[in-house]
Amino acid sequence: MHELSIASSIVESVLTFAEGPPPRKIVKVLLQIGELTCVEPEQLAFCYTAITRETALEGSTLEIEPVKAEVVCRHCGYEGRPRYWDDALADTCIATLQCPRCDKATEAVGGHECTIRTIRYVEP
Amino acid sequence: MIQIEANPEEIYDIELEHSLLEANQKLAKENRGLLDRHGITAIDFMGAIGSGKTTLITRLVEKLKDRMGVAVFNGDATTSNDADTIAGYGVPVVQIATINGCHLDANVVGKACSKIDLKKLRLIFIENIGNLICPAEFPLGSKARVVVISVTEGPYMVRKHPHMFLGAQLVVINKIELAEIMGVSVEELARDVHRLKPDLKVIPTSCKTGAGLDDVAEAILAV
Repeated sequence: MHELSIASSIVESVLTFAEGPPPRKIVKVLLQIGELTCVEPEQLAFCYTAITRETALEGSTLEIEPVKAEVVCRHCGYEGRPRYWDDALADTCIATLQCPRCDKATEAVGGHECTIRTIRYVEP
Repeated sequence: MIQIEANPEEIYDIELEHSLLEANQKLAKENRGLLDRHGITAIDFMGAIGSGKTTLITRLVEKLKDRMGVAVFNGDATTSNDADTIAGYGVPVVQIATINGCHLDANVVGKACSKIDLKKLRLIFIENIGNLICPAEFPLGSKARVVVISVTEGPYMVRKHPHMFLGAQLVVINKIELAEIMGVSVEELARDVHRLKPDLKVIPTSCKTGAGLDDVAEAILAV
């Protein structure tokens, strides 16, 4: 699944940074994952741990910070959190592009992030 | 498991804004630019296996090929069955074999574009992998995404795959001739779509009877 390909992209980017010069020991990678992004954080963290084994990144942790969705409505001017469909199926609340104020179509302006935000490292 | 414990005085943080989806997004933009320069509209067809994507594309090719240049890119994990079927209609077909991949990406679509003569084309239909989760995050450079679901997949297809619908410009509800036998309401599926995205166009179709296919062709040409 593509959590693995995203984990690979993370490892590739961070390894390049870790190589330096000077070489650095990576402690933690902080990722921002938007609410509207189709990426499963737990699977991603699992893939990251699995593929960093026996690499220079072994032992480093992946921390995922969720980013909430933000929408704007060109019809009524609403700006803010999306309307949620909370009884679609058990457990999950689904973010929608229906305006919480006027019911018309909104556009997402935030919540699609899939970004390396911070790399925490130690310079030996 | 080894865990790194760092001494507080030695820790550094480097702040980045490195988007992991950026590489594909950049290639998608390049594809889109190339196609725009040639006046070509590419349509990304997504849907689960068995939703009727290939049949729908085949019917559209039949309808449109004598009026304008049409090509088809077919993404398939292992077979060329679908590509062979469409090639029988005399339009350029590029088979993209993804083997273990769960989605097409802008890179392989860019390569497919280089395999055909873009000069006389007006439309490219891209049939994505039969998967309603992964393709959502990977734009290809198409002008519009069409999600194909069928009544034979049950009444909850929209609720189970919200991300796919949020990113679509057209939804086709296929195999409507089987709705009664399946006990699935096309209207309820359409209502679910509009709960997610109120302005998303929904066209019910039957590739068997031809119902709705002219509307789909018209919607695609209007994109």
